[in-house]
Amino acid sequence: MIKVQDLNAFYDDFHVLKNVSLEVGKGQVVVMLGPNGHGKSTVLKSICGLVDKVSGIISYNLENITGKGSEKLVNQGITYIAENRELFPEMSVLENLKLGAYSMSARPHEKKNLEKVFSLFPRLADRQTQLASTMSGGEARMLAIARGLMSNAKFLAIDEPSLGLQPNLRDEVARIIKEINSQGITILVVEQNIPQITELADKIYVLEEGSISFEGSKEEALGNDHLKEIFLGM
Amino acid sequence: MLIEIIDVIISGLINGSVYALMAVGLTLIYGVSKAFNFAYGSFYSMGGYIAFLLFGASFINNYLVVFCLAVPILLVFGFFIEKFLVAPLRKRDDWEIKVMMITLGLALFLDNSYQVVFGARMKSLPSILEGSFELGEFILSYQDVGIFILSIGGILIFRWFLNNTRTGMSVRAVAQNPAGAQIVGIPKDFVFAATFAISTVMVGMGGILLAQKYFITPTGGWDILVKAWVITAFGGMGSIKGSLYAAFIVGMLEAFVGWYFGMTWTLIALFAVLLTTLAIRPQGLMGKWG
Repeated sequence: MIKVQDLNAFYDDFHVLKNVSLEVGKGQVVVMLGPNGHGKSTVLKSICGLVDKVSGIISYNLENITGKGSEKLVNQGITYIAENRELFPEMSVLENLKLGAYSMSARPHEKKNLEKVFSLFPRLADRQTQLASTMSGGEARMLAIARGLMSNAKFLAIDEPSLGLQPNLRDEVARIIKEINSQGITILVVEQNIPQITELADKIYVLEEGSISFEGSKEEALGNDHLKEIFLGM
Repeated sequence: MLIEIIDVIISGLINGSVYALMAVGLTLIYGVSKAFNFAYGSFYSMGGYIAFLLFGASFINNYLVVFCLAVPILLVFGFFIEKFLVAPLRKRDDWEIKVMMITLGLALFLDNSYQVVFGARMKSLPSILEGSFELGEFILSYQDVGIFILSIGGILIFRWFLNNTRTGMSVRAVAQNPAGAQIVGIPKDFVFAATFAISTVMVGMGGILLAQKYFITPTGGWDILVKAWVITAFGGMGSIKGSLYAAFIVGMLEAFVGWYFGMTWTLIALFAVLLTTLAIRPQGLMGKWG
């Protein structure tokens, strides 16, 4: 579904990603691990059209989408869910969700997706009128994921969903990702604090210093002592 | 004495309402794009001149027609000015300064064009409504009431637009979190242009409303730019609610100072209050988007 070949990405003159290649198949959950600050978020953002300076080829269902901006990609079903959530603070939960369905392709499904999101996150349904800025970290995280789902995405790039989350909510995040995936949405997720997510993985990539240093199944990753110790915390 | 004071209050309310309409527009641009539009005052004059031209055309004799024509003209004008003059700068370093410079240049260009086309002499517009009515002991002119209702109506329409339309919501989204707006797929460039266009309509309408009372001159917009800027800073940069309050405070202040000390003192008083406020509360009345 998503294929990345020789991706290079830059912030100003800083060379963040060096010849990154990866593939996410339709319906899969692919997990990316790696130390902080080594470019994991940049991989997700590049795929979702949120990085200005990229080279290489990113393709989506065999279409070359390199260099396309997020407003086009969201419309095609590619959505990024940010690690720092990037909500609209002075807007209600409902308004945040409605803006999640901003793209042309999501508008006709707004009502249906809203129901879906509320059944997935019943707490958001109870707090529709609450301002996003007054929510707790966990609730804001749920709202960010829910807003991403409102885009009617076929591919979700989820960036560190456990960031700022209490440990007891991690199970919840893993459950939700499983649920989303079972509805046919392909997922690329950066996450290393939730072993349950690693267990969902059809494939694991490790990104170190802007390059892919490991690619393989979770069994292979678990068989790799170095990886096991450093990234999986097992 | 009492009647005089109430007259002053009424005049403050009416000017305040038009200032509110115009300052909210300026706040909007700042809140959304963090850019300052120096040509804002010239857009004010443009509103007046467009109405003047339309009234000059023999088939137009009422404000309804003038508004129906002026709004789209201002909207399109603002949109394309942003698209072709401001937007290309946004990709460069220090673009905020460059936007100030180019809008300053635009202001000078427009003001001189007005002078060439219309001459330096003051132009006036017919009163929107003739006559007056008595309310107890006070006499209110229909014109003042009309101006007040139209300004407040304009602000309410604007508020409705921001809260209830998809484009309005995307404007607020960009103002509150540009990165978040990009993530959900909002076309930022369009939002910037739309915001600029809407603010152009707001100040242009202000021009049409106030020109009935204060005439139109080629450089008359500078006074308005200064006032709108003072109100914006006073209310808190980017805060719509703050601008609303500040506009009425400024309108009142101006009316009272003008009445008690004379019109020449109004700007001085305005700056004195602004400086005092900013010294105590640098963020203005409410330094937040509301």
